[in-house]
Amino acid sequence: MKARWGLMLLGPFLVSFVLLTSSQYMFLHGSFFADIGYGRLGADLTAGNYLRFFSDPFYLQVLNITILASALAAAFTIVAGFPVAYVIARMRSRWSMVLLAMIVLSSFITIVIKIFGLIIIFQADGSLNRFLLWLGVVQQPVTIIGNMVGVVVGLTYFTLGFSVLLMYGIVQTIPRSLEEAGQIHGASRIGVFRQVVLPLCLPGITIGFLMVFNLCMGAFTSAALLGGGRVLTLPVMIQRTVLMEVKYAMGASLAAVLLVSVLTINLVSLVILRRFRAARLVIA
Amino acid sequence: MMRSGAQAVLTATTAVPRPRWRRMRLGTLAGAALTIAWMAGVYLYMLMPLVVVAGASFSGAAKKEGFYVAHSYVQFPPEHLTLAWYGAIPAAQLEALLLSFGIALGASFLACVMGVPAALGLVRASFPGKAIVSSLFRAPLQIPAVVSGIAFLQLYYAVGDLTDLYINGTFIGLMIGHVFLATPFVIGTVSSILQRFNLRLEEAALTLGASRWGTFRQVTLPVIMPGVYAGALYAFMVSFGDVPVSMFLGGSGFNTYPVELFYSMEGDFSPSSLASATVVMVFSLVMLLAVQRIIGLDNLLRSKGGR
Repeated sequence: MKARWGLMLLGPFLVSFVLLTSSQYMFLHGSFFADIGYGRLGADLTAGNYLRFFSDPFYLQVLNITILASALAAAFTIVAGFPVAYVIARMRSRWSMVLLAMIVLSSFITIVIKIFGLIIIFQADGSLNRFLLWLGVVQQPVTIIGNMVGVVVGLTYFTLGFSVLLMYGIVQTIPRSLEEAGQIHGASRIGVFRQVVLPLCLPGITIGFLMVFNLCMGAFTSAALLGGGRVLTLPVMIQRTVLMEVKYAMGASLAAVLLVSVLTINLVSLVILRRFRAARLVIA
Repeated sequence: MMRSGAQAVLTATTAVPRPRWRRMRLGTLAGAALTIAWMAGVYLYMLMPLVVVAGASFSGAAKKEGFYVAHSYVQFPPEHLTLAWYGAIPAAQLEALLLSFGIALGASFLACVMGVPAALGLVRASFPGKAIVSSLFRAPLQIPAVVSGIAFLQLYYAVGDLTDLYINGTFIGLMIGHVFLATPFVIGTVSSILQRFNLRLEEAALTLGASRWGTFRQVTLPVIMPGVYAGALYAFMVSFGDVPVSMFLGGSGFNTYPVELFYSMEGDFSPSSLASATVVMVFSLVMLLAVQRIIGLDNLLRSKGGR
């Protein structure tokens, strides 16, 4: 019986393995050539693309913006989403299902359509600006499209639903009885939230933050449309380099930098987290 | 926590009851109001864009100083109502919709063909290096989609250089990329059901004389079916909604619907895009409701997006 389950794995494993390794190898290999125009590559292996990336302030700026926007967006997503996830997880009525279903529904709609709606709301003569002008909050229409705020808003929008579902799962693993115990001992609701719920959820939240950060680092559609070609993140830059400038090797190098920086940031933060947790255990 | 709890009890017993009670009531009220406002804000932010797209798709063209201004077409709330944009959906978008539908259907089917046995193997079998195999199956979730896109494009070029068979810009080429993206979702949903599966059910069937295939077909399969449906739905939506991979693997005149919509938003924008987007939204809603009918909402939610 046991051997058979292992055998079932063989086919899918081989297909996945071949697809993954061959595609990753080909693009990493391709990044070590020079573009010689019209999509053709030079004959010799060279690290020129990487040297150019790390010596050109423009590319470094793109990397900086990508990391900064992703970190900000991930932070906003977690801060905005966690209370929602907590309230839904602790609701005792059937409304919790409805609220969850609404998030699932919105996460099922193509991101392009959602960003479309976001742009209609936020554009210079869009609904929000007309409302703000009417209220007298602003004198001039403000726009977020094509600046950093827009990119962060877009990335937050992209990940919010996913992060609520993720953190809903985390809150559900914490028994309600712990909170009731806190309340019985006289802690206020906020006190219970701060001293019982938050510390217990913190490991889950940090992992959630990393997952959301990963999603943001790789997010193309929302960053491209809300960046408006003026704020360039790495994924947008990759698409432009390959499809507009037809520089396959440079595009592949950018993709490699993106992949390696995502992996490095994750690895480093996991190591730091582990150290931090170990240190705290020693103190306690 | 304990110390502050004890303190709170002490203050509660020593303080004059009435003002304390009133303050608490007010605090709870403010807390409830804040919670509701927070929830409303987040939900408004998440759902408003969908409402706006659907609403603006019925908006009649607004003339400004004698000529049509492109962005003033897009109005929410709409000033005049019209269905005109639904008749004016360009042929390119309809073709793209058809292509997206075909690719998503094929990709979700193939993702199940790959994902169900993979999940069974990953949960049931035990062998050295299982963690590595498992993370290999999850790799497409960790690799940014843009990177997967360019990686498959380079692979297709390399294969093409060797065999003279270039599959970028073809149905097969797109399909392979989408199956790669979608398979982890099926593995995720099916595994999450299998992990809660009671093995005694299978043992009982076997002792009662069922064959192994019979046990699988009549016991195992019905139990994991909700996971398969949920996984197929996620796979369909991931494939249907993907932009970065399709952008690299498609070609001019051979784009999926989201890519077509993306280009129409960057360049020659027409409000008929709003109409086609609304059609897609209604379609997604119907699909979600249908699957929800079959397997139930809690089964769908429990799979947590297959991640």
